[in-house]
Amino acid sequence: MILDTFNDAAKRTVYSLQEFFVLAGKALGFIFVKPFYAADLFQQMDAIGVGSLGIVLLTGFFTGMVLALQSAVQLQTFGATDYIGRLIAGSMIRELGPVLAGLMVAGRVGSGIAAQLGSMRVTEQIDALNTLGTDPIKKLVTPRVLAALIMMPILTIINDFVGIFGGSIIAKVYLGKPAALYWKTVFEQILSGGFTLHYIPNDFIQGLSKPFVFGGIISLVACYFGLKTSGGTEGVGVATTRTVVTASILILVVDYFLTQVLLAVFSP
Amino acid sequence: MTDEEDRRRQQGERRHPSEKDETAMPRRVRDSGRVRAAIRTELEEVAEDTAERRPGPDEKLGPGPRQKVITLEHIYLAFEEPILENVTFHAREGDTVVVVGESGTGKSTILKLILRLLVPDQGKVTIDGDDITHLKFDDALKVRQKMGMVFQGAALFDSMTVYENVAYPLREHTTLDEDEIEARVREKLQFVDLDPDRVMEQMPAELSGGMKKRVGIARGLANNPEIMLYDEPTSGLDPLTTATITYLIIKLQRELGVTSIVVSHDIRSAFRMASKIALLANRRIGFFGTPEEMTGSDDPYLREFLGGF
Repeated sequence: MILDTFNDAAKRTVYSLQEFFVLAGKALGFIFVKPFYAADLFQQMDAIGVGSLGIVLLTGFFTGMVLALQSAVQLQTFGATDYIGRLIAGSMIRELGPVLAGLMVAGRVGSGIAAQLGSMRVTEQIDALNTLGTDPIKKLVTPRVLAALIMMPILTIINDFVGIFGGSIIAKVYLGKPAALYWKTVFEQILSGGFTLHYIPNDFIQGLSKPFVFGGIISLVACYFGLKTSGGTEGVGVATTRTVVTASILILVVDYFLTQVLLAVFSP
Repeated sequence: MTDEEDRRRQQGERRHPSEKDETAMPRRVRDSGRVRAAIRTELEEVAEDTAERRPGPDEKLGPGPRQKVITLEHIYLAFEEPILENVTFHAREGDTVVVVGESGTGKSTILKLILRLLVPDQGKVTIDGDDITHLKFDDALKVRQKMGMVFQGAALFDSMTVYENVAYPLREHTTLDEDEIEARVREKLQFVDLDPDRVMEQMPAELSGGMKKRVGIARGLANNPEIMLYDEPTSGLDPLTTATITYLIIKLQRELGVTSIVVSHDIRSAFRMASKIALLANRRIGFFGTPEEMTGSDDPYLREFLGGF
């Protein structure tokens, strides 16, 4: 009895994973196949990128400030407050910027995509697309995934910059460090990690490869749960919740493994 | 009336509800029987009346044998339990076949099979003589371009205006320029008795149920399909709007000679529009024939089914 239940659950999980990866493969494959839904792509880039700007700015700014506050207390103990710029830049660019932007976008955009596609599913709009001879994955999923892949790194760059800027305010106000010294140490941190292809700082590679992956995770998870919605409006709510929970957990788990790989590849 | 009842009436006594009259039918059953008989008579009248007025497909298509456009042959389909068993029927060019049956009997599943959104476990579906059962997804998309579909809830894209909804299939599958698209959209909206200037820029959320259905029909017609499929086109509509939608389906058949499959539980509308009726009962086609043959049938289930309406 217990074995049967376990067996059924395992089968369902494997089947869901298979469906997810088939969806991901098709969505990414359609990026290079005509027709290209350029208008949909720009609309999604606007919704995902421009629409998330406010929340990302706020998150980055206050995270940078609180990080500077907490670090200042610790650095004062060792008399190493001159290095606060390095600490803030390293933390924001490599870790906090991508992860926080990812979590914010998962909450705001992921839930929106799941709700939108879920509503389209329960009101038969997805079936309507099919009957009108349009592949719903190509029309709905590919533009969203591509838009997320493009916009997430851009949002992360903005998040990083605003966070480091927030840190500079605390460094000046709380520690009395001149802005020139703060920004000098920020650049030292960026340059100290070494370079890829002679010109691209490794910190940037690490900091921008993560949001690229997170963008894919958020959009694909949201589209998967949205398209799988069943059970009317209640199902839309369930899909939305599942999207935010699954995408957030995946971001944190994947971040750990990605960091391991990136540190191994780009260790200074 | 029994002596006992006569005596009670004279003495002003009333029968207690728990006392059963073994000799008479309960009143509710008697009334129900009368109502059913009346409705059945009405349906027979509708069948006879519309048989005279119903457009023979030959009106548009001319005399001579008409080809089978849609055929379902020995279809079996099961999910967790059997849905369809040995389902066989066809629609000839210009026919309107109405699939009727009780709720939850798999009527809409038949439309999904014709659209190749579902693949049967056994049997085959052919469109214009071509077996579509085992088509690849991309080829199935091409076959669907021959068909227009009207959904139960209209399924208009709620992020697009009425104009964009009707123009959608044209933008997807034709090379028409914007002027030609607008002309076609206006033509189709006028065909479904909507004023293009009034509705084109409206969002679906601003339309009534009947208007949504009509826009749905206009969108289905935009590509001039040879087949139209309707899923419960009159459900949830008031009698007047139901009559309007039924009239539109008849108009389509009469003026454009479109072959249609209509899934409905609205038997009165079915009798008005159908060339043939397919009754789905117990996962099988229990009857396939003209409305007149249906009302003339002595089959007990058929009589019960018609009486039920």
